[in-house]
Amino acid sequence: MRKIFKIYKPFTHAGVLLAAQYRANFFFFILGDILRCFINYFLWHAVFTSGGEKTFAGFSETDMVVYIFISFLTSVIAYSDGSYIVGEEIRDGNIAMRMIKPIRFDLTFLFQELGERLITVTMIFLPLMLGVEIYKFVVTGVIGFNILNFVLYLFSLILAYLISFYFNVCYGYSAFVLKNLWGANFLKDCIVGFLSGGVIPLAFLPPALSVALNILPFASLTYTPVMIYVGMFDAPTIIISFALQIFWLVFFFILQQIIWNACVKRMSVQGG
Amino acid sequence: MIYVENLKKEFKKTIKEPGLKGSIKSFFKPKNEIITAVNDISFHVAKGEVLGFIGPNGAGKSTVIKMLTGILTPTSGRCEINGKIPYKNRKNYVKEIGVVFGQRTQLWWDLALRETYTVLKEIYEVDDESYKKRMAFLNEVLELEEFITSPVRTLSLGQRMRADIAASLLHSPKVLFLDEPTIGLDVVVKDNIRKAIKAINAEENTTVILTTHDLQDVENLCERIVMIDKGSKVFDGEISALKSKFGSSREMKFVPENPESVSALDYKKEFNLRDGDIAVEDDGYTYSVRFNSNKIGVEKLLNYTLSTIHVKDINVGDADIEEIIKGIYRSEVKLDA
Amino acid sequence: MRILHKIHRTFKLHRIFIKQDLKKLMEYKIDFLTGAIGMLLTQAINIFFLSVIFARIPNLEGYSFEQIIFIYGFALLPKSIDHLFFDNLWAIGYFIIRKGDFDKYLTRPVSTLFAVTVEKFQVDAFGELFVGVLLLGYSVPKITLNISFLNVILFIISIIFATFIYTGVKLITSSIAFWTKRSGSIIYMFYMINEFAKYPTTIYNRALRAVITYIVPFAFTAFFPASYFITGGNPWYNIGGTVVMSVILMAVGIFVWNKGVSAYESAGS
Repeated sequence: MRKIFKIYKPFTHAGVLLAAQYRANFFFFILGDILRCFINYFLWHAVFTSGGEKTFAGFSETDMVVYIFISFLTSVIAYSDGSYIVGEEIRDGNIAMRMIKPIRFDLTFLFQELGERLITVTMIFLPLMLGVEIYKFVVTGVIGFNILNFVLYLFSLILAYLISFYFNVCYGYSAFVLKNLWGANFLKDCIVGFLSGGVIPLAFLPPALSVALNILPFASLTYTPVMIYVGMFDAPTIIISFALQIFWLVFFFILQQIIWNACVKRMSVQGG
Repeated sequence: MIYVENLKKEFKKTIKEPGLKGSIKSFFKPKNEIITAVNDISFHVAKGEVLGFIGPNGAGKSTVIKMLTGILTPTSGRCEINGKIPYKNRKNYVKEIGVVFGQRTQLWWDLALRETYTVLKEIYEVDDESYKKRMAFLNEVLELEEFITSPVRTLSLGQRMRADIAASLLHSPKVLFLDEPTIGLDVVVKDNIRKAIKAINAEENTTVILTTHDLQDVENLCERIVMIDKGSKVFDGEISALKSKFGSSREMKFVPENPESVSALDYKKEFNLRDGDIAVEDDGYTYSVRFNSNKIGVEKLLNYTLSTIHVKDINVGDADIEEIIKGIYRSEVKLDA
Repeated sequence: MRILHKIHRTFKLHRIFIKQDLKKLMEYKIDFLTGAIGMLLTQAINIFFLSVIFARIPNLEGYSFEQIIFIYGFALLPKSIDHLFFDNLWAIGYFIIRKGDFDKYLTRPVSTLFAVTVEKFQVDAFGELFVGVLLLGYSVPKITLNISFLNVILFIISIIFATFIYTGVKLITSSIAFWTKRSGSIIYMFYMINEFAKYPTTIYNRALRAVITYIVPFAFTAFFPASYFITGGNPWYNIGGTVVMSVILMAVGIFVWNKGVSAYESAGS
């Protein structure tokens, strides 16, 4: 383990530097995205005012607001550029160069992204989360921060990121077929955003659909961690969710390994 | 035709302090440093002349060209071309000039070359009759026929350069600016491009201003050169003047029988010379000794060399223009005009 | 005669580039298809989201589902038209200036703004345009609209001027790159404010409403003009406002652009 860290630490460092270099740009981009959270906030506010009911599908207005912002933060953290990077490498042929290096293809990206995450967490995640907690305090009058929920959330978030990473790497291999990847990535982001509960909590959907989506890997990316944070999952549900997250992580990890091995074989036969 | 007087261009450069704190600070209170890219340059060019604009990297050549073409506004000074001031009334002015930047294309990457010319025809409002004639002429000089239906992105560097030059000439400009027109091309292609430039200059008496790194370009195309270094003009005159002025610079080339024996030669010590007066270079096979013939006679040098080592071959000649200019860049030759 | 000639020239140049972009589209068929499907799906998901909400409430601040869909569809029209014709402004902010590629536009005897925008015809925009038309087609028969000759004219006018609100915002923010070398993220941030326009501005708080009405006036690209058609609000404010805001933004945009062009410092040597 320590050896792995030693080998891959430079990539993390590079990730930090990269993110730091583009932080001004990054900041404006995130700000643009946060605007969308506010639109949803006002929209839901209007919904609660117009509906005249205290809760929708078990969500109070405060829950909904927390859901909107925390699901945004979760998706920012759990988002991985893996598919994009792998796609680029396939198109420009650099992927062949990866085979001659004595380090793991997936881990170099993973550690680089971890570096970028460090910046994201300190610049975006912590301040915005603090804002959400303050909002909760102002509205409800009690400090609603629950350490246990938060720790469970963090654990779930890390799993979510790793699933996302390996899922995206797998998806990136589609560049072998789809060539130009802008459209393919856009389509993926759109579908994943919906299926993971990033647009609307899965609990709002028709029951059959909701159950199905809960089992699919995408719920593990956003919906599961956020529901834990909001405190809307009971203990058995949390345990089942963790089991599901771990299952999907193992699934995509192995899938990624299989595809990579197939690529190596294909390239060593056909010469790239 | 072209008058440039005391032209000067300064750039403001923001000094960034390291770290997040530094960038926030520089965001609100930027610290600027002023860099003078072009300093007080004057020259003029007559109609039909081909002027070579030379100087080392970062000397300010491109900045001058960009001011003359109206891309940059001078900080101070004046330039006037055909009685027009480039950065004023730009749209009107650029109809009379053609510009080629060797490092980047101005053609539309995804359009077929022919389409590119159709776009330019509309932009420059060339009528159908002149367009036809013009294309025929350009085709003859630059041989565009073989790739005119291909998209620009598929052209080779040499083809692209020919296409770019044709694009800049479509509207029959009075002045043609070429910034590094032969950069990155192989010898044969370079030669073709030079021939084409000559033909265009001869045919229509087009004034050509060209910047280049390649001194072959200059020797082939220009009668006159303006040399700049660190933003200032260091030489302005005919190439022959440059040669006669620095003609004292001569070159002796020899191939030693045994390369190891060369270490026995020490010209500086033998003739008590300074660094600027003599320089020895070798490619592992041929040795070339550039020397100031005012300081040391050819005979003495030959005698010393031949008596110290055995050679397979030896000759003495004029240093070519390239050598002289290299010397000027290295400040070996003093320019006290 | 001179004007006619100019219009002819403009159309001819547009035609060449449009043809080219369509050709490119055929070349990257799969990418275009996946992208277009993605665009369609994004909108479909949003509509689905609205329908889920409306399954639980009778109306949103007094607006029925169909009225919301009308506003939403209306919003997509100017957005997609701007997207279709003025997409290259993004490239100004992202890389054209940073790489020094702006030089070539300065050596052409046409306005730089025209030379930049004519170059790209963004075919992807058809996805949004299609959805917008679809949503209007769905909602118009279901809401009470006064379809008169005058209103059709006003509709066209408001779409055209709303388009230039988008273009104006992009023009101002992309021009920043003339001084800072890049401004892509700034364009993005301001551009994203358009998302507010898809819903009735009455749902937002006062400060936000002021911002999207007077500062980055995207409210005039959809909600205000659309509400004239739905509720018969004051046309002078709702559509006149669109025209005025659009003219102001374009004037400021062109002014900043021209300032930027003269401050432009080409890249490298």
